Amino acid sequence: MSAALVRSELRKITSTRLWWGLLIGVVIYTAIQSGANAALAGQDPGAGQPRTPALDTAQAIRTVYAGSAFQGAYIFAMILGITGMTGEYRYQTLTPTFLATPRRPRVVVAKMLAHLVVGIGYGMAAVLGALVVGGVVIAVRGFDLGYGADRLWASIGLAVLAVGLWTLLGIGIGTLIRNQVAAVLVAVFVTFLVEPLATFILSANDLDSIVQWLPTNASTALTSPGGGFVDYLAWWVGGLVLLGYAALLAGVGMLLSTRRDVT
Amino acid sequence: MRPPAAGHRIDVTGLTKHFGEVTALDDLTFSVRPGVVTGFLGPNGAGKTTTLRCLLGLVAPTSGSATVDGRLYRDLENPLSQVGAALEASSFHPGRSARAHLQVMALAAGLPRSRVDLLLGQVGLAEFADRRVGGYSLGMRQRLALAQALLGDPPVLVLDEPANGLDPAGIAWLRHFLRTLAGEGRTVLVSSHVLSEVQQTVDDIVVIARGRLVRQGSLASLDAGPAAVLVRTPTPDLLREALTEYAVQEVDGRLRVEGSTPAEVGHLAYTRGVELHELSAEASDLEKVFLTMTADSEGEVA
Repeated sequence: MSAALVRSELRKITSTRLWWGLLIGVVIYTAIQSGANAALAGQDPGAGQPRTPALDTAQAIRTVYAGSAFQGAYIFAMILGITGMTGEYRYQTLTPTFLATPRRPRVVVAKMLAHLVVGIGYGMAAVLGALVVGGVVIAVRGFDLGYGADRLWASIGLAVLAVGLWTLLGIGIGTLIRNQVAAVLVAVFVTFLVEPLATFILSANDLDSIVQWLPTNASTALTSPGGGFVDYLAWWVGGLVLLGYAALLAGVGMLLSTRRDVT
Repeated sequence: MRPPAAGHRIDVTGLTKHFGEVTALDDLTFSVRPGVVTGFLGPNGAGKTTTLRCLLGLVAPTSGSATVDGRLYRDLENPLSQVGAALEASSFHPGRSARAHLQVMALAAGLPRSRVDLLLGQVGLAEFADRRVGGYSLGMRQRLALAQALLGDPPVLVLDEPANGLDPAGIAWLRHFLRTLAGEGRTVLVSSHVLSEVQQTVDDIVVIARGRLVRQGSLASLDAGPAAVLVRTPTPDLLREALTEYAVQEVDGRLRVEGSTPAEVGHLAYTRGVELHELSAEASDLEKVFLTMTADSEGEVA
């Protein structure tokens, strides 16, 4: 593993247009998330749902800035990881890659580090977007911006890290499902639809002890601790769980991509 | 380009590869010497690409080995500076430029950036270097594949079907390019499924079919068989009487006279007063020999 190899993998990411397309997605989606979170904080959602914390609580502020940044960015980070891996299969670039570096585990580690770096960049862009858009909505509603809220900056840091870790989940998914379109569709379907739906149904039936271990909920526990719809894990347990998912998927990815024939 | 210090050999020994039920390579053994261009020939599906991928550590052989100077590819230090490879020219991201593709490779291999520009110029891609590869013709991709192979200035070159998609000018350019590289003492292995494509380029040949070795040796050792003459006449029976010494068959309305020359046939026809409408030597026959050779081992008739 060398720094040059990580730079080679970074060059792969930056030399096609996908990464900034995803970055635009990160910023737009985070703006929507943080704007909505700031607009709805403390309002009565109706339908018998509990009222969300008001904007004068540190918890609401953390949700608007850190929670929204994570929510707005992690799916794009995951897609970056998926395409980073499946693109090598789809376009057969794994051949020149392994020709230049026949010791395959090095390639996979370098690829993960490069994606982690870009993923963290996405997380920081998302935070910036949330601070601006969420802040504007908070100011319009006449509340204090709350940039000094309790544990806000720790939450923001963890949100950035969590976004980065989701690129590793994506790389793992990409080695398991090598068809690029299928991998992205399945992953987005699961994270966008299956997981929230499972969370909603199981949680409504008082099965929080199960849903809190799902990857997105573990990430939420890490990034905007305290309260909310689900009984989340402690933030550090959530972090360890997310790390576990990343390690598991990355490990599977490492194992598969280093042993398969490249034909 | 610096001439390589010493020649490098490629040795394929007892190479066998099964893909599930399919036997792609069956106890294949041959070797490639430095300083010449070796043609690696066989019909499509004969196992050429699998052999090269085993040599390059991309495919794990079921048994046997393929080595460069006795070493496996994955054990080479700075492999791009030892072995340059251009496999089927589709291994590029269509959204990445040629320059970026080579930069990615150069970074991974620890090669200086100046090599990228040098090679882009050498294969004639300099003015297209910043365009996305998705818009390249097959010929341009082949040139990029060659640039990739030469990036580390390696003493050994392995090229899979490099003439595919090249126009006649491109093939002439490739031929000259390969001869120059071999002339510098490099080991050059070039695969093709069409003998005529490499016939004027290669010195040695390795012919395989169905994963097995059919022939290894110099190109000259491919025996094209007795020469033949094709002749057209309105009175074939009269001409046949003049040619009783030769084996004569009728082919497509012409007579094919084996073991003769146009001058001999023309003379005999003249002395017997037989009218001729066409007289020619049969076109170079190596391709036919090649086809027969590879078809025989498949148990089929060409």
